[in-house]
Amino acid sequence: MKKLLFLTFATVLFISCSNDDDPQPGPNPPEAYEKGIFVTNEGPFGAGTGNVTFISEDFTDVQQHIFLTVNGKDLGNIVQSMNFQDENAYIVVNNSQKIEIVNRYSFESVDSIKTGINNPRYFLGTDNNKGYVTNWGDPNDNTDDFVSVVDLRSNAVSATIPVSFGPEKMVSNGNKIYVAHQGGFGQNNLISVISGNTVESTINVGDVPNSMVVSGNSLFVLCGGNPSYTGNETAGSLVKIDLSNGQVSNTYNLAITQHPTGLTIDGANLYYNLDGKVYKVNSASVSLPGAEIINGFFYALEAHNGKLYATDAGDFASNGSLKIFDLSTNQQIQEFQTGIIPGGIYFND
Amino acid sequence: MKQNGFHIIFIFFLCTTSVFAQLDSIQQLPEVMLTDSKLVHFSKGFKLEKLSDSIIERNASSLTETLRYNSSIYFKENGFGMVSSPSFRGTNAAQTAVIWNGININSIFTGQTDFNTISPFNYNEISIRSGGGGVQYGSGAVGGSIHLNNSYSFKKIDSTQVSLNYGSFSTVGGNASTTQTWGDHYLSLGVNFVSSENDYDFVGKNRKNNHGQFLRFAATVNEARRLKRGVATWNSEYTYNDRNFSGSLNTIGKDGYKDVATRNLWQLQQKIGVFDTKASVAHLFEQYRYFPDSEKPLFDQGRANTFIGALQTEIFLRKKLRINGKMEYSYITAKGDNVGKNSRKTLAAVVLLNHKISAAFSYGINFRKEFLNDFDNPFLFSADVKWSVSKNYELRLNGSKNYRVPTFNDLYWYAGGNIALQPETSYQLELGQEFSFGKLKADIATYYISSEDLIKWIPGSGGIWEPVNINKTRNYGAEVVVGYSVKIFSQHTLGFTANYSYTKAEDLEKEKQLIYVPFHKATGTFQYDFKTLMVYLQGLYNGGIYTTTDNSNAVKAYKIFNLGSEFTFRSNPQITLGARLKNVFDVYYENVAYRPMPSRNLQLFLKFNI
Repeated sequence: MKKLLFLTFATVLFISCSNDDDPQPGPNPPEAYEKGIFVTNEGPFGAGTGNVTFISEDFTDVQQHIFLTVNGKDLGNIVQSMNFQDENAYIVVNNSQKIEIVNRYSFESVDSIKTGINNPRYFLGTDNNKGYVTNWGDPNDNTDDFVSVVDLRSNAVSATIPVSFGPEKMVSNGNKIYVAHQGGFGQNNLISVISGNTVESTINVGDVPNSMVVSGNSLFVLCGGNPSYTGNETAGSLVKIDLSNGQVSNTYNLAITQHPTGLTIDGANLYYNLDGKVYKVNSASVSLPGAEIINGFFYALEAHNGKLYATDAGDFASNGSLKIFDLSTNQQIQEFQTGIIPGGIYFND
Repeated sequence: MKQNGFHIIFIFFLCTTSVFAQLDSIQQLPEVMLTDSKLVHFSKGFKLEKLSDSIIERNASSLTETLRYNSSIYFKENGFGMVSSPSFRGTNAAQTAVIWNGININSIFTGQTDFNTISPFNYNEISIRSGGGGVQYGSGAVGGSIHLNNSYSFKKIDSTQVSLNYGSFSTVGGNASTTQTWGDHYLSLGVNFVSSENDYDFVGKNRKNNHGQFLRFAATVNEARRLKRGVATWNSEYTYNDRNFSGSLNTIGKDGYKDVATRNLWQLQQKIGVFDTKASVAHLFEQYRYFPDSEKPLFDQGRANTFIGALQTEIFLRKKLRINGKMEYSYITAKGDNVGKNSRKTLAAVVLLNHKISAAFSYGINFRKEFLNDFDNPFLFSADVKWSVSKNYELRLNGSKNYRVPTFNDLYWYAGGNIALQPETSYQLELGQEFSFGKLKADIATYYISSEDLIKWIPGSGGIWEPVNINKTRNYGAEVVVGYSVKIFSQHTLGFTANYSYTKAEDLEKEKQLIYVPFHKATGTFQYDFKTLMVYLQGLYNGGIYTTTDNSNAVKAYKIFNLGSEFTFRSNPQITLGARLKNVFDVYYENVAYRPMPSRNLQLFLKFNI
């Protein structure tokens, strides 16, 4: 039996085989990943597996495909995103149609969610018994998109909330969930406000809202604008929403050909990606495009405690990298190899 | 899959047509003419391999199988029966041209042929021409070309074949064909189908292949009529494929794909003085429908019509110098949900020359110039030499410039298509040596291919993927083919054939091996014949392949063996019974990462030669 187990394990390793950095078998001590950075790697197109890279807070320890290392199985196809709630990390595996739940400190598998979701995109927990998942449904069908409500005690979907098409990222504030409708394969221009199990209201924003941050009593929504190929190109914009009344208080437009992505915040400063540059904007007195601070085409961007973390997906068919910049000098201070298409950066503080 | 019933009825209708027949009419193949005669006459200094009928029948489940086990071409197959694209000498999938009766049939949309949509039963001859064939066959004949040819004859033929097969994973197939000649007429009709649940085991994984059902149906009509000073021919084929795309180790299969193709070619050949002149008209139709969810009626589709008109004339002076001149006009019109409605017109002028200086030495020079294209009109050339040094040793040498035009997807895809694209170009050289000592034959080919402006989709600004002429590659390698047969006692024969290839295909910027190109591939077959009993063992070794452009991930090498046997009853009609055990050792293997291939399986067939 032991031999069989070993064989199975060996087979699993060989399937995901990577030439130079095969994972060392055997579970890690608990809390191996207590302090550090997780990078989720979507993995190659087609049938491959995505994985998670861990980099310790002091940058001395870098581990690839930690889910496989700890649990002896592949994570799945297109690792879209990850989020924490209490002790757990919820990893959304889009094309494998599942959410893997692991202990955020040991990365040991806890459970998974496979029913009540369809093309899941993002997870957001609100407290120890409730979480939300955005779902595209059939990407060709703009009428079947929904948000699943998950009971985090049983990890079962307890309700589904039909929403406008292309729901993606979520943020919470107070007892409300704000869902950005980027638009899936198309374009949308809405924020849904969910309270409990119902859509309480929707807020019209610019076209293609792709990222959001909360700052004080404001929600900043970065809208990419319609790309030129749609035949109806619209300018990228930054929309400021007053959370006390759910109204748009300000819209700051870029030029019509400018399509920003990756809004993130650290302290009072907002950062985003545009045409191969990272811009910095003061959230208290917004003026676009803001100051150019760093050059580079980045796939994901996160500002955190005075540093900017940015991923480079290269040609999307080979291992990417995570670059870390010091925001006081705007100089790169670290670079680490990641897996294929590093699409998410998360901090286990 | 509703059409299945109709197809089967059609087959049985055909089965009953030829009751009166002679026993060995197909054994004595009379003088046969190929619809595409250029292939033989102007490829002397190229490696040209013809697959025999028995080889094709052994691996008849698809053209992928036929070629995988009998050539050095590597196939990237997305799970058994799913989309299958070739890599010939390490070139990309759009750089292998599939030539049907002299016409390039690669898809207008993808530039490729999916080798699982083609039935190997439809043709009288399948040939593999290695190396650049751009001058003769146009875009995509870079690594090499696969020739699917029909032939005709006016000798007495009255032959009908019906075969049925049944195998593991609820695989059912049938093939019926009849060839008749009378007076100045030649007529050949054929239909075949295969359908499979394709729910094979993932060896050692306690799981089955899901959602991988496929159905393929094909029908052909080939007709020729002798005229006063020439011949008129009509070649026609229809294929229909309905497939669900299977899941993988970590995905659930959901999508489906249906495609239809029709191909028609009319040729009129007349001999006027020394000029052998041929006028031809062809129509090709292709349609695909992609269903993101096979259970739902929503789909994306594309359809394309290609009209070709050509005039060529050939002279053969003093049985030594053969010159062929050709003008060809083609008009393609295509419409697709993702590419809009577009068209392309091309005029090509081709001159081919072969000069036999002596019985031992000949050379060829070929040119092609195109006009009317939106991109830079290519000028292509090739030259080849064949020299029989001794009766045991022959030398081949050829060099060529070839191209691959941007596909309609590359140019017009919404979003990202780039109408400023230029054709991919490549230069190549090949040296071949043929050894022959009695029943032992060997061929060693070495080649070098340098390609530039290769089209690659890369992420542009704003996150949209766009194709650009960016990549440069260098391929070189060697191919060895060995064949040997020996008679033991009077009625026992032992035969052996093998292929080995070494392929280095390098991205010059990254200095890495291209993905999905194995360094090593080998195939081999041992065959034993006793009277009408035949037993064979077939093996395939596929070396490891990289799946990422930095060569950090790979699919492991694998070895597969198939064992087969056939027995023919000398009855009237002649009946052949056969069985084939595939993947004898029940090996787990992947051809594409995370897509397991079939477990051990059995196929049985029954064939009537009437």
